[in-house]
Amino acid sequence: MIESFKALEQLAAGRDLPDVFLETDAQEHGVPADDILEALRRRRAVMRDCVERGKSGGTSMGKLVGNEAKLLAAAFAEGRTFLDPLTVKAELYALSVMGENSRMGVIVAAPTAGAGGIVPGMLLALEEERHIDPERTVRALVVAGGIGSIIALSANISGAAGGCQNEVGVASSMGAGAVAYMMGGGVHEVINAAAIALKNTLGLVCDPVGGLVEVPCVKRNALFAVHGLTAAQLALAGVDSVIPMDEIVEAMVRIGRSLPRGLKETAEGGLATTDTGAAIARRLKDEANQRRAERAAERERLAQERKAHST
Amino acid sequence: MATRHDRKVSILDVMGPVMVGPSSSHTAGTARLGRVAREILDEDPIAVRFVLHPPLAATYRGHGSDFALVGGAIGLNVDDPRIPEAIRIAEQMGVTIEFAEEDLGEVHPNSVRIEIQGPNRETEIVGSSIGGGVIEVFRINGFQTRFKGDSPVLLLFYRDRPGMISEVTQVIAEEGINIASLYCSRKQRGKDAFMEIDVDSPISDEALHRICSVGDVAEARYLDKIP
Repeated sequence: MIESFKALEQLAAGRDLPDVFLETDAQEHGVPADDILEALRRRRAVMRDCVERGKSGGTSMGKLVGNEAKLLAAAFAEGRTFLDPLTVKAELYALSVMGENSRMGVIVAAPTAGAGGIVPGMLLALEEERHIDPERTVRALVVAGGIGSIIALSANISGAAGGCQNEVGVASSMGAGAVAYMMGGGVHEVINAAAIALKNTLGLVCDPVGGLVEVPCVKRNALFAVHGLTAAQLALAGVDSVIPMDEIVEAMVRIGRSLPRGLKETAEGGLATTDTGAAIARRLKDEANQRRAERAAERERLAQERKAHST
Repeated sequence: MATRHDRKVSILDVMGPVMVGPSSSHTAGTARLGRVAREILDEDPIAVRFVLHPPLAATYRGHGSDFALVGGAIGLNVDDPRIPEAIRIAEQMGVTIEFAEEDLGEVHPNSVRIEIQGPNRETEIVGSSIGGGVIEVFRINGFQTRFKGDSPVLLLFYRDRPGMISEVTQVIAEEGINIASLYCSRKQRGKDAFMEIDVDSPISDEALHRICSVGDVAEARYLDKIP
């Protein structure tokens, strides 16, 4: 087991980082390295599909979001975007995945579904823009997963446990480390990229409107994909995090504990209880009650039918 | 220093699972909890009652947890695109579904008690979806447990008596299967008891049959890793 990022830095000195993670994981969980890589190849393909499907848009379950990717894709295609293509694509792909997610489409939780757009957004945009071999992206997914597994030794990866920092913060950190790896960084740069990204998400609360993974989650994934890219950029330029990664994770856990319950996925605070958020929540509740009544009526009708049939 | 969990999370757990959205804790995790109940029941259910801990009751609907719990309980995997249709499918199968709310005590916010009934037997589990699709089942039929569905596991219900562990592990050893961990609990000395054995490789039907025929074993269930 790799107990800490400090231990990782020593263990991985002079080695290709994914090999270190694969070796440890294979020992720990009994899954051969080749099987892990094969599974991640498939997951990269699911991410890729998701990005393609998501670009065409559609309405989310709660009808609050769904067409963000479609709008940005159109602006990009028509030359109406002003950011560089890597940044636009990172946003676009994160939005695509989150759009699919909001429609109950098949996605990869990375590390969670609610933060599932960030890692594919960053990695697939970079792969495309820098013409990186997809196999290197797969190895970068090992790095992302490895970073997440060390964080998970101390922290519950869920908004309910520690707010959005535990989901989007962790995803952005994993993605930043993976991007640093893809761009040729060693273990030191990878850890510092992860640290800079995570440190600057601390305190991020989970206050989803109506309790849905829609607002602010979908757009937040796009923004924090870019956040992760900038963290990797700093680390690759030689900027170190003053606070070591292990201590940042500890701080995240402490902050998560001290966050009030209303800001940990319960939809009882923050954006969820703004005038607009509360009105949306009321509408959702009314609609759900209506659906339940319709289902009950349908059940009743079927029961009557069965009864009529048997007599 | 932060609390360390007793079990390590693998790369594939972090970078996964592949699942139907929108929430790994509320959709994938809850589907897996439903699936655990279904696998322990070991037959198609006729009735399932989901008792949600208040924080989960407040948030489950918008995350499709109701579809996911039901989907798991009728045997669907977390990446099955039919999950959004699970309640309708269950009703077509003639399964009675009920949702209720109850304070389950000092547990993770996303916790649920699942009471599942089949034509021949019934079972009850209490578990939490702790994030990223990872689950913890901590009660089975009233017995304390600590089960994550991340490795093959043998669940034994038996009458508490000396020598039981050694007889059961003897059979497992003879089958050439390595035990990763073993956990026992009982309701009262000499009364109903429960054993959870995490194993490194699958247990054959024949081995399971041999374990079932050990004296005082009431029931044995083998569960593969829950996808």
